[in-house]
Amino acid sequence: MRFVLRMAARELRASWRRLLFFFLCVAIGVGAIVALRSVIQTVRAGLVREARSIIASDVLIQTNRGWTPDLRAEVDRRLADADVLDRTESIETATMVRAEQGRVARMVELRGVEPAFPFYGTLVLRGGQPYSHALVRGRGALVGPELLVQLGIQGGDRIVIGGQPFEVRGIIEQEPGRRVGAFSFGARVLVDLEDLLSTGLLSYGSRASHQILLRVREPAVAALTRRLREDLRDRFVSTRSYQALEDDIGEDLQRAENYLSLVGFVIVVLGGIGVWSVTRVFVRQKIRSVAILKCVGATTRQVLATYVVQVALLGLAGSGLGVALAWLGVASIPASVTAAFGGAAYGLTASAVVQGLLVGLLVSLLFALVPLLEVRRVRPLLLLRGGESGLGAGTPDRTPGWGLGSWLRRIDYVQAGTGVAVTAALVLVASWQAASLRAGGLVSLGFAGVALVLSGAAWAVVRVVRPLSATPWFPLRHAVLSLRRPGNQTRVILLAVGLGSFFVLGVRALQQNLMAEFALELDQRGADMFLIDIQRDQVAGVRQILRERGGEGGAAARLVPVLRARVTAVRGREVNLESYADVRGRGSLAREYTITYRAGLEANETITAGAIWNSEAPLPAAGVQEVSIEQSIHERFDINVGDTMRFDVLGRSLEARVTSVRRVEWEDSRSGGFMFVFRPGALSEAPHSFIGFLRGPADAIDRARLQHALVERYPNISAIDGRDILARIQSIVDNVMLAISIVGGVAFFGGVLILVGAVAMTKFQRVYEAAILRTLGAGTRLLTLMIAIEYCALGLLAGLIGAAGALALSWAVSRHLFDIPWEPTPVLLGAGTILTAALVGTIGVLASLDVLRRKPLGTLRAE
Amino acid sequence: MIELRGVSRTVPSGSGTLTILHPLDLVIPAGRVVAITGPSGSGKSTLLGLIAGLDAPSQGRIVIDGTDITVLGEDGLAKLRGAKIGFVFQFFHLLPSLTAFENVLVPMEIAGGRGGARRADGLLAEVGLTDRRHHYPSQLSGGEQQRVAIARALANDPPILLADEPTGNLDSATGHQVIELLLNVNRTRRTTLVLVTHDPELAALADMTVSLRDGRVVQADERLALADP
Repeated sequence: MRFVLRMAARELRASWRRLLFFFLCVAIGVGAIVALRSVIQTVRAGLVREARSIIASDVLIQTNRGWTPDLRAEVDRRLADADVLDRTESIETATMVRAEQGRVARMVELRGVEPAFPFYGTLVLRGGQPYSHALVRGRGALVGPELLVQLGIQGGDRIVIGGQPFEVRGIIEQEPGRRVGAFSFGARVLVDLEDLLSTGLLSYGSRASHQILLRVREPAVAALTRRLREDLRDRFVSTRSYQALEDDIGEDLQRAENYLSLVGFVIVVLGGIGVWSVTRVFVRQKIRSVAILKCVGATTRQVLATYVVQVALLGLAGSGLGVALAWLGVASIPASVTAAFGGAAYGLTASAVVQGLLVGLLVSLLFALVPLLEVRRVRPLLLLRGGESGLGAGTPDRTPGWGLGSWLRRIDYVQAGTGVAVTAALVLVASWQAASLRAGGLVSLGFAGVALVLSGAAWAVVRVVRPLSATPWFPLRHAVLSLRRPGNQTRVILLAVGLGSFFVLGVRALQQNLMAEFALELDQRGADMFLIDIQRDQVAGVRQILRERGGEGGAAARLVPVLRARVTAVRGREVNLESYADVRGRGSLAREYTITYRAGLEANETITAGAIWNSEAPLPAAGVQEVSIEQSIHERFDINVGDTMRFDVLGRSLEARVTSVRRVEWEDSRSGGFMFVFRPGALSEAPHSFIGFLRGPADAIDRARLQHALVERYPNISAIDGRDILARIQSIVDNVMLAISIVGGVAFFGGVLILVGAVAMTKFQRVYEAAILRTLGAGTRLLTLMIAIEYCALGLLAGLIGAAGALALSWAVSRHLFDIPWEPTPVLLGAGTILTAALVGTIGVLASLDVLRRKPLGTLRAE
Repeated sequence: MIELRGVSRTVPSGSGTLTILHPLDLVIPAGRVVAITGPSGSGKSTLLGLIAGLDAPSQGRIVIDGTDITVLGEDGLAKLRGAKIGFVFQFFHLLPSLTAFENVLVPMEIAGGRGGARRADGLLAEVGLTDRRHHYPSQLSGGEQQRVAIARALANDPPILLADEPTGNLDSATGHQVIELLLNVNRTRRTTLVLVTHDPELAALADMTVSLRDGRVVQADERLALADP
């Protein structure tokens, strides 16, 4: 062992320059993994810390329907025997607010709280003002800073909420659980719960969340949450604990982390390809040294160990450099990005560093092992053969032949077995990184498939170009001969370049698909203003205001009746769900749906089964309504035309027969989209509210005036300015796209760099031949042309196969992993193929420049 | 003592086989200097390679100090070479990434013994290269490289020293120094020395000679004949 360690150290001293590229490959891959994982883990740690303060309590019980006396009694009864330390209530609703002295109205997220709020987290007010409930008691309000700007007011001014004046007594700098970058309808306004109730904003059917916040002795949290959830679900009450929230957030981020880690792993695999090609060349250059060591008594195992130790040391050092690169990368993340993703200060996390080092070491060893095994075949006898190098000199007799038997005999079983083991290990590492055997398997399968095709292509190309070796044009003839001479580089270059372009183009194509999924542009023609909670008796008044102040768009505004409903039973051909408990077993069918009624179809709807009602026809027998369901409901829950469904609409039971199935073009949602549409009739008589869509005035002041007019007359109506929201969504999407682009960019540059190196490494094989050709009179131009033809041809073929693989990979991952629509990316893949060919050709020539420049004698002597 | 019984070597060639060495019997007594001579392609180096266990005979047995080396695997052969055989090549074959001192040290480290550094220094002094101990092979002349190679071959004090054209790549003055060094080793350590050479002057200095032509022994000292088993 001492010999192995000393020998490894001495060899490294001499050959580190040749292995520098090995080192860089590992560093890039590890750097990517460590940086990506660290950033996400930091964000997650911050969010988990926030989990309790997000709901400001241990357990949150919530309903959108308000606490009816019997419901409240039941909740009280259940809490009485639980380990509840403290409780308080609050109501949240989105509504419009204007300055008392102004004409501009803005959407805000209003929350009424009691003195005990919040149980966890601190409300930070501007100027270090301490928060206490006394600040809001008696028509006081605390507001988010953006509202001051939007309304042009300052602390001490009065704002009007639901027709009642409130005094602004503090500015909220930071509220527990509200994150920058997270979606919200508007600025936060905090008032006293009693005051909120007295405004009359909460009319029947209003969108409001009624909450009971609990402080519970820690061990009881999970059990209480579970019991409340089960017992109250049928009463449309939801219960969650900070723990569940922690899990929710954790799960989302875990998914993101694993996706990015997989991309990081792909970068490491690219590095591994570099490692493989470096090691291969390295072993070829070390054959004589290996023979000498064996000649002076070293066993194969000792020699192999010497090189494995070298690889491990280099891998570890490369991983170390990778960690340093990651640290630099993370430290240089601009503050604006930090703010958008939670504001936590980024740093490397210990677990990411350990994982990175481990993956770097593992990949170095795995990719180097197969080429290193070649040293087993080096026989010391070659030293007697006048310094001729090459594997197989002195290898045992091998009977030449072409039969299957002789082919089987020629297989190196140890090397083949190691190859299989290494592949299996890579699948496991990939799965570990993606935390999913499926994702890891998919990527590895693509890797293996493309490698197989590339090997086959190499075999084929050597045979296909044979006729060209008789061409009279010297450079072409020699390029072809180079492709198929003994010990040619065809397979190596095809494998390295093909796999490289496969991964680079694959990640890029995937990125384009992801981007297309996220890409969201402000629709120039669609509705951009939405009205919520219009009561039935307000419809005529609202229409009038819209006509007077809303311009063309206002006149064309659509007011759509909406109700909230749950499916409580289904009696059908294929499914029979007797009660709400049965429905709950069907997952999302049990959620609360927003439903509507109307006479016919919208522009973005088509009937796929049954027929839409003719509203002229007389209504069917009393008690049974007609309903049209959306295609996805039909597909997911096997509900068909003719089935009967029972709904709970605002506490009343209602039966309806499914008379048609509709497909809604969700992409074109200007006309809105509903899962359940009812025939006008009984529902029209039920209490319900309306929502409005309109294309608001183009001018910002006109828009503000319109909002103001609506709010002044009907304080309960919320007018949401889609422009604000779309702009906010856009900024979130921009941040996500930025993150994806950065990751994709790292993968791209890492991949290109590694390709450059892998191709450059093959020049060692060419040096000697070029030198001989020079002594025979070949000029620089001729040699350059020869090399260019050979490399360009290989690059083109590798690029084509890599692009085809990338197409398949992006399809498989988009459709089967991310579940997003997939588009082929012909421009990207075409350009990628041509670029690969050009790149490989250029690198081939550039890497051979010193061969072309150097005097041939030097090269011949060195050999 | 080195004993070869019915040793031959053939290699596949085209459709048939090519015989490099026809079956031969040979006994090399311990402590003697034996020269193997013959023109290029006569099978000299093949014979030497077989004795060193660098190649396996197609037929026959080779026994070194009572050990039948033809039954040993690669690692067994490597161990045997490390302990019993020193080898000097025509092309020196030093490890280019190691200094002269380290090249001499390597066989001792492989064998796992202690006190290697002092012994390596001693051997370098013996071949007159103490002041060159930290030079790399590329910084040494051909003669110096060959002297380092001889020091390396002696590292584990092997009873047998094999040399393949040790002066073939050197000018005559340097060649003489190297021959003197080898013969001195034989005299002072009683090391069996087997030389392959086509230099008649060098062959004349040997105790006994074997001449090969086309893979057959054409002339051999009678003391090299195999006694009946």
